[in-house]
Amino acid sequence: MRTYEVFLKKAGKEEFRHAGSLQAPDAEMARLLARDAYSRRGEGSEMWLVDRIHIIEGDKQLLAATADVSHRANDGSAVAARRKRLRNDA
Amino acid sequence: MTPPLELSAAAHSYLLAFADDEHMMGSRHANWIGLGPFLEEDLAFCSIAQDELGHALALYEMLVPANEIDRFALLRAPADYRSCALAELECATWDLALVRHWIYDLAEGLRWEALVQSSVEGLAELAVQAEREESFHRSHAQMYMERVVQDEEGRRRVDAALAEIAPHIGTVFAPPEFENDALEEGVASESFADLALRWFNMFEPQAAEFGLTLPALSLESSLDVRCTRTPGFADFHASLGEVISLDVQANW
Repeated sequence: MRTYEVFLKKAGKEEFRHAGSLQAPDAEMARLLARDAYSRRGEGSEMWLVDRIHIIEGDKQLLAATADVSHRANDGSAVAARRKRLRNDA
Repeated sequence: MTPPLELSAAAHSYLLAFADDEHMMGSRHANWIGLGPFLEEDLAFCSIAQDELGHALALYEMLVPANEIDRFALLRAPADYRSCALAELECATWDLALVRHWIYDLAEGLRWEALVQSSVEGLAELAVQAEREESFHRSHAQMYMERVVQDEEGRRRVDAALAEIAPHIGTVFAPPEFENDALEEGVASESFADLALRWFNMFEPQAAEFGLTLPALSLESSLDVRCTRTPGFADFHASLGEVISLDVQANW
């Protein structure tokens, strides 16, 4: 058995999204079985199946935050707090 | 409440035989819920079961008023069913269930094809829609079979299952009562005898391709077959009616 990752795309401008994974003996069976597992009620109008062996996994070491660099993360909350303070002071 | 169609006796018995076959097949398939060989196959097989039950329901709707369908489908006296032995058979192993699915759905597609120009109101549309589902069922059976016969053990087990089912295959081609009238009235465009021949012409090359041993087959069948229940039917029938029998008047 092989494992396939299933991606579905709805009609229109939506992008493909990961729907889940699937076990099947080969690609042809995967295509057949994926319909019942993931798109029985028209959840997608297009489907991609990717054999998991073809997925390149990112390096966890590189992904992990190496140090506290919160000063580089700007989610706007500091600006919002400052503007609120200025509004209240006015 | 939708009233059923005004049907001739021939049309009625023609549709009843098909509806009961579909009902039995769908219910027998559904016994595999949660027991399929792997999750994805379990889902696919149960989806096929639901399709067959859906076909049965659509046909029953043409025969009886909507509020009587459950009782009609589940609580008739066994002698009043018109299903064939192939559909009623308990397939207690996955080998048997798979082989029966392959055999039956090959025949079912042909049966719907014979109805795509039916004179019965709404039946042609139903036949077109059902045949679309059947093409998926056939692909499923064929792909599955192709793979299991690839090794020696798989082929041996399929061969054994086919030999066990073979004596019942002809029953699916047992004509309903008044078949000639149904053909004259345009209910269906092909006799069961012709369907049996066409089925064999599809079955034989597939069986050869799978490397199977062709079993002895008798495809000539008579109405009696549809009037007789298979051993084991009584238990199956009782289990189907178990819930509705708790309160027959309940509105589900």
